[in-house]
Amino acid sequence: MFRFLVRRILGAAVILLIISALVFVLFYAAPRDPARIACGKVCTPETLALVRKNLAISDPLPVQYWEWLKGLFVGRDYSSFGHCDAPCLGFSFQSREPVLNTILDRFPTTISLSIGSAVVFLIFGVGTGMLAAVKQGKPLDKVASSASLIASSMQIYVVGVFATYLLVDQLHLLDRASYTPFTENPGKWFSGLLVPWLVLSLIFTANYTRMTRSQMVESLTQDYVRTARAKGLSRRTVFFRFAWRGAMGPIITIFGLDLGVLLGGAIITESTFSLQGLGMLSVKAVGTNDLPMLLGVVMVAAGAIVVFNIIVDAVYALIDPRVRLA
Amino acid sequence: MSFSRRNFLIATSVAAAGSTVLSACSSGDSGGGGSRSTGATEYTGAKVTIGTASDSTGPAPEIPGAKTGGTIYGLAPDDFSHLDPQRIYFAYNSTVALLLHRCLTGYKIDASGKQKLVGDLATDTGKASADNKTWTFTLKEGLKWEDGSELTVDDVRHGFERAWAPFVTEGADYAQRALTGKGGKWRDAYEGPYKGKHLDSIVTDKAKRTITFKLAESKPDFNFTLAMHSYAAVPVKMDTKEKYDKKPVACGPYKIKAHTTDKSMVLIRNKNWDPKTDSIRNAYPDGFEFTFGVETLDGVDRLISSQGNDAYGVSIYKGVPAERIQKVLTDPDLKKRSFNGLLTGTYFYWINTKRVTDLKVRQALIHAWPLQQIRQIYGGPSAGDFATSVLSPDIIGYEKTDPYNKSKKPQGDPEAAKKLLKEAGKLGQKVVYAFPQDPTYNKTKVVIENALKAAGFTPVIKPVDSTSYYDQVQQIDNSYDVMWGGWSPDWPTAYTMIQPLLDGDAIGNGKNNVSQTDVDWINEGIKKNAVIPDQMKAGKAWAALDKRIMEEVAPLIPETYQRRFYVYGNKVGGAQFDPNFSATLLYKTFVKA
Repeated sequence: MFRFLVRRILGAAVILLIISALVFVLFYAAPRDPARIACGKVCTPETLALVRKNLAISDPLPVQYWEWLKGLFVGRDYSSFGHCDAPCLGFSFQSREPVLNTILDRFPTTISLSIGSAVVFLIFGVGTGMLAAVKQGKPLDKVASSASLIASSMQIYVVGVFATYLLVDQLHLLDRASYTPFTENPGKWFSGLLVPWLVLSLIFTANYTRMTRSQMVESLTQDYVRTARAKGLSRRTVFFRFAWRGAMGPIITIFGLDLGVLLGGAIITESTFSLQGLGMLSVKAVGTNDLPMLLGVVMVAAGAIVVFNIIVDAVYALIDPRVRLA
Repeated sequence: MSFSRRNFLIATSVAAAGSTVLSACSSGDSGGGGSRSTGATEYTGAKVTIGTASDSTGPAPEIPGAKTGGTIYGLAPDDFSHLDPQRIYFAYNSTVALLLHRCLTGYKIDASGKQKLVGDLATDTGKASADNKTWTFTLKEGLKWEDGSELTVDDVRHGFERAWAPFVTEGADYAQRALTGKGGKWRDAYEGPYKGKHLDSIVTDKAKRTITFKLAESKPDFNFTLAMHSYAAVPVKMDTKEKYDKKPVACGPYKIKAHTTDKSMVLIRNKNWDPKTDSIRNAYPDGFEFTFGVETLDGVDRLISSQGNDAYGVSIYKGVPAERIQKVLTDPDLKKRSFNGLLTGTYFYWINTKRVTDLKVRQALIHAWPLQQIRQIYGGPSAGDFATSVLSPDIIGYEKTDPYNKSKKPQGDPEAAKKLLKEAGKLGQKVVYAFPQDPTYNKTKVVIENALKAAGFTPVIKPVDSTSYYDQVQQIDNSYDVMWGGWSPDWPTAYTMIQPLLDGDAIGNGKNNVSQTDVDWINEGIKKNAVIPDQMKAGKAWAALDKRIMEEVAPLIPETYQRRFYVYGNKVGGAQFDPNFSATLLYKTFVKA
């Protein structure tokens, strides 16, 4: 297990390094000039040079990249922003605040949104999928399968606006989407995120229902399941102890990836509900050519995906005795 | 004086902040828009005059029915990009600056949107020498910073000198140029205030509370320049340099209690602001709470439904998007909870006079241009009024002149255009039309192409990357005949429009005389009008010049004066359009019982 973890973490570091270099190169390949945007309305060549110096983008690209990498480990000094402690992701070109602080400020919103909706879609998705598998071919299965097909073809920006209009503005059943830190007011945290959770879950639940159903149906036809039943184990024991465990492998894999992506920012959901998470942050960073912020968010998003992949692989071994970590 | 690429920079900077000026009015093409019967087009721009010392004396006139107390909740997609006044230039930053900062002069706006330039920190709009090179202002008594310390003439001077700090790169530079006489090289003339040296061209007298500006050139409208927030006062003793942008010290009616960048801002009363010193601001609410990150459509829907705190809500600077304009115009309750106004400035199309040398061909282009079809794509009559000359209605002295009858034939007059082309022997002339690639202009190019063909031209359409659009059209050897553009003045005198757009001195790469108009009588007219001391008399002279330019040179095709609508919560009173910053005039709002 230890060797596995060390190997995977080193691999992850290399992946993140490659991604950061790619973002750097791609950013500079874009035709927009961040200094020109930050320069304001009166942009003489002298002012532009001053802005480049202030933003620390006057050096050649490899030097800038090296300085950025160095900042991660030893911190960095900026002429116009002051000192940035390690791990330094730089200062935002737009807000002129340390990127790490902004990300740490937004991360709780994204975590709350992701984990909350993950709980909902896992319970409902896997639950409905299992039910549909048990009742294969029966009306319940048909209803669940059709409903999930419809739900999975929905778009968040449509369902979200409709749900807000109906449940919040017209029926006054739920609160308007907002984020209040859990530590500040757990009740408000819950009520403010309920609509986004439900909307985000709707789309994911459908996928998990369909996936769980098909995996379970396949598992239930396996030889070992039939053998267990033949040996006299109860239908319930066989279902949960053997078939379910066998079916969960691929679902965990997809869940790990989904959660990783969600933690990198649920862009459309956050925009639809005006929630200030990493998704909105990344959209704004792209729109304003804010390289340090963009790089920071990309690193967090990529980091989340990589970390969850490692976790998924480890969990695989725990849940399925056929898999051994090497 | 040379000017910046003002309009382009409005477009790009606001784009950077999330949207473009035009997209707010034009993101939908479902047609319709408002109709004339909605009254949407009755407002004809602010009428600006110069106030007296008595007009400058506080307090501000009471708003009938207004009550003190409560909180107004502001919604916006993006946080203010700067709070340090010297770094404020973009209009949306000025919406909050009006609550926090004060300049020597400012605009006193009445309920109908009419404006007077008055003394804000100063007792009046200043005394100029006969040659308008020396301007003296006296500070009002009782001016204080938020900590209770006195606001002095040194603090006012500091607000000018800070513009030289290396971290200040975003503000206006009119005063710096005028104070040094070095044009764009003004930074070379002074090292900034942080090494203990002051600008020789600003003289203060603490005992008399006077500040005198010795300009290198004659500036009869210098008191208008000083109303820009780039020239607001900053306390010498509390200047935190780069950090000031995050936590400025207030002398206006409110101060910052809390600010989480890009998320929220809470303003509370500045108890050391004395309403008797302020003839401009009412300041009825006890505070303001701003929420950022609210997408425009979401924000407007929240204000329309007016639930909870949204009933006390306003949109700080984002207008109603095209998707909701019809709803606002047709629902009587919403219409009552809305206001609108024209954006400052004019949208137009430059005609490259070095390529299109024949006056008759330029006039034919104006006749041919399909203003109505273009405005329909922007959202119909509610999106704005047709422009007929260079000057916009908010300019002092503006007089409507319509030599090409565009008000009566906004759809274009292909017959009149063809006739002129025939007379010139240029029927079938090739016209290269350049525009920034954008969903809206990709649509308007179609109606423009059709109209040009109908008028006997051979159009060649050249879409240009929107991010480098102005860099390309501002090259004097470009290969375009007609180019989309626009211009917003920084203060409402005609010099700020006609000089940068039409003075022969403003021709050059990166400069704004994109039509490359270099006509002796225009150049002389600009010089002459620029030094008329009385701005009202100057306004008349400029209006005459505007008319003659359109008739005898026709260097651009005026398009629209664009309009923006706002809605507000059902418990907000006093909400009105800010004619300078095209936003909600926050300091006049109040909470209804």
